[in-house]
Amino acid sequence: MRVILAAAVLAAALAGAGCKPSATAPASNTQTAASPAAAPAPRPKIALVMKSLANEFFATMAKGAQEHHAAHAADYELVVSGIKNETDLGEQVNLVEQAVAQGAAAIVIAPADSKALVPALRRAQQQGIVIVNIDNRLDADAANKAGLSAAFVGPDNRDAARRVGLAVAQKLKSGDEVAIIEGATSAFNGQQRRAGFEDAMQAAGMKVVAIQSGDWEMDKANTIAANLLSAHPRIKAIVCANDNMAIGAAAAVAAAGRTPQVLVGGFDNIAAIKPLLSAGRVVATADQHADQLAVFGIESALAVLKGAKAGADRATEVDIVTAASATGPQPRP
Amino acid sequence: MRRRQFPPQSDLLVLLLVLGALVALFGLGTDGFLGKATLGSIANRIPALMLVSTGMTLLMVTGGIDLSVGSVLGLCGAAAGVLMVDDAWGLGPALAASIALGALVGSINGWISVKLRLPSFIVTLGMLEIARGLAFLATHSQTKYIGAAIESVGAPIAGWVVSPAFLIALGIVVLGQLLLSRTVFGRHLVAVGGNVEAAAISGVAVDPPRIWAHALLGGLTGLAAVFNCSRLGSADPNAGVGFELSVIAAVVVGGTSLRGGRGSVLKSLLGVLIVATLEAGLVQMGASEPVKRVVTGCVIVAAVLADTWRRRT
Repeated sequence: MRVILAAAVLAAALAGAGCKPSATAPASNTQTAASPAAAPAPRPKIALVMKSLANEFFATMAKGAQEHHAAHAADYELVVSGIKNETDLGEQVNLVEQAVAQGAAAIVIAPADSKALVPALRRAQQQGIVIVNIDNRLDADAANKAGLSAAFVGPDNRDAARRVGLAVAQKLKSGDEVAIIEGATSAFNGQQRRAGFEDAMQAAGMKVVAIQSGDWEMDKANTIAANLLSAHPRIKAIVCANDNMAIGAAAAVAAAGRTPQVLVGGFDNIAAIKPLLSAGRVVATADQHADQLAVFGIESALAVLKGAKAGADRATEVDIVTAASATGPQPRP
Repeated sequence: MRRRQFPPQSDLLVLLLVLGALVALFGLGTDGFLGKATLGSIANRIPALMLVSTGMTLLMVTGGIDLSVGSVLGLCGAAAGVLMVDDAWGLGPALAASIALGALVGSINGWISVKLRLPSFIVTLGMLEIARGLAFLATHSQTKYIGAAIESVGAPIAGWVVSPAFLIALGIVVLGQLLLSRTVFGRHLVAVGGNVEAAAISGVAVDPPRIWAHALLGGLTGLAAVFNCSRLGSADPNAGVGFELSVIAAVVVGGTSLRGGRGSVLKSLLGVLIVATLEAGLVQMGASEPVKRVVTGCVIVAAVLADTWRRRT
């Protein structure tokens, strides 16, 4: 397994050296190629602390970071770590402390919790480590109180969910019944997506008849959707806070024999959602460009390390993907 | 010994009363609950739980337990998904592979815990981690979308309310009950679970029934994995997280003892129905996630309490 992974990273590095048109890449690549061992200046170590690498979204994010690193190996050293499951806060705090102990110059983190990670990150910052917050935004209040200042690089989940909601609502009539299946109720990005769906449905004049949490899980969302369909026979759409839950909901809609009448919306644009999009069983999802998210975080950290003032917040782009756009070429930010 | 004052059927009666009370409560509390759509959706949701609860009952009767069934469900589903999507296998061969993989994992659990004299609780706790890790490795942590090739198994039969998966699971529950109550193998399962020394003295080979119970549970989990994938049209490497707890809850609610020596597959089925009805009803009443968890927990404890009180009086 490890050998295959190493080979894949190597291949990506070679591909990057061969065709990457970026301005900085050629110089650094030739340097690595010519004298990999004799790099004189110590490279700063950047610790990328993720949520669960068992989750496709974060696995893609980590892969994007590794490919970026392979193309810029002379500029920094990358250490990627992740936790076992999304709610294992204690383990993520440990990872932050380990990164400090290993002498990381910067920590780029996708916090598993918006508040619980603040103390550990503040301790790291007090030791001069640059902190960049990606994906899930740290709670502004908690960070202010603790005296932690971290640039946020990530998507506006609420706005993206609003746009998915509107893409779904566009196909409905004003006053139609709609249900929302949200993610874990304790997650900030989950709350934002739910709020965005509600914004959209309110703006489009839809009637939200039920909001239930599927805890990000396909199976749970499937059960909930099946029951919502029988409890609310007039439902016209179910919007879900991630694609796994959308797959579960779409299966429930099909099992109830209501596939063309009840629309499903998702979020994340994972690989498995594509056939459902082209079959019209899911009408819209949002692509947050996971592979780019960590890269932007790393670039922000590198800029600060090179002497830029504390990094500014950066909203990353989100594209709404529908059956029509899924077949065409993907726009990249 | 005053334990057997009541005929064994009265256990069934208590469970049926609990189930009836739940159905009546939700029927009164919501509009659509007593309709065909709800009952069908409950029936088509539970085949995996029915199969694994059947296997778990047979294993728990011997005094063993398997905590790895949720992860094995994820692993077998992942394997079937990879074979069908990446290697273009048909449903039949993929199903066979999934059952074989589950049975293999179950046999490993059984062999280690019985032959090497380790508590099955610990061995299968280890397997819980191993199987989940393998499921992520096999799929590269990605959900595999299988689609129509697998969906027919879990979808309602045209003109019927229930799916082939439900009917197969129901058949296996009946076979499991017959195996437990009407065969020599079944009596051996109860004997080794009741008192392993006494069973050995009376001439029962005590190792094979226990290993077989593990293997059987593994095979049923492999079948359940395919049913689970068919309901969702896809294989999710995260499938089945916490599934072992639903299974154990259903089996224990059904009156099977955690210490072995006593159990009934049919009553486990009622346990499954109680847990599933509760879940469906709470969603339809619009209960929030935290409330659902609190209520479900209370009902599990109450059902087991009712069972033990009835036994004591």
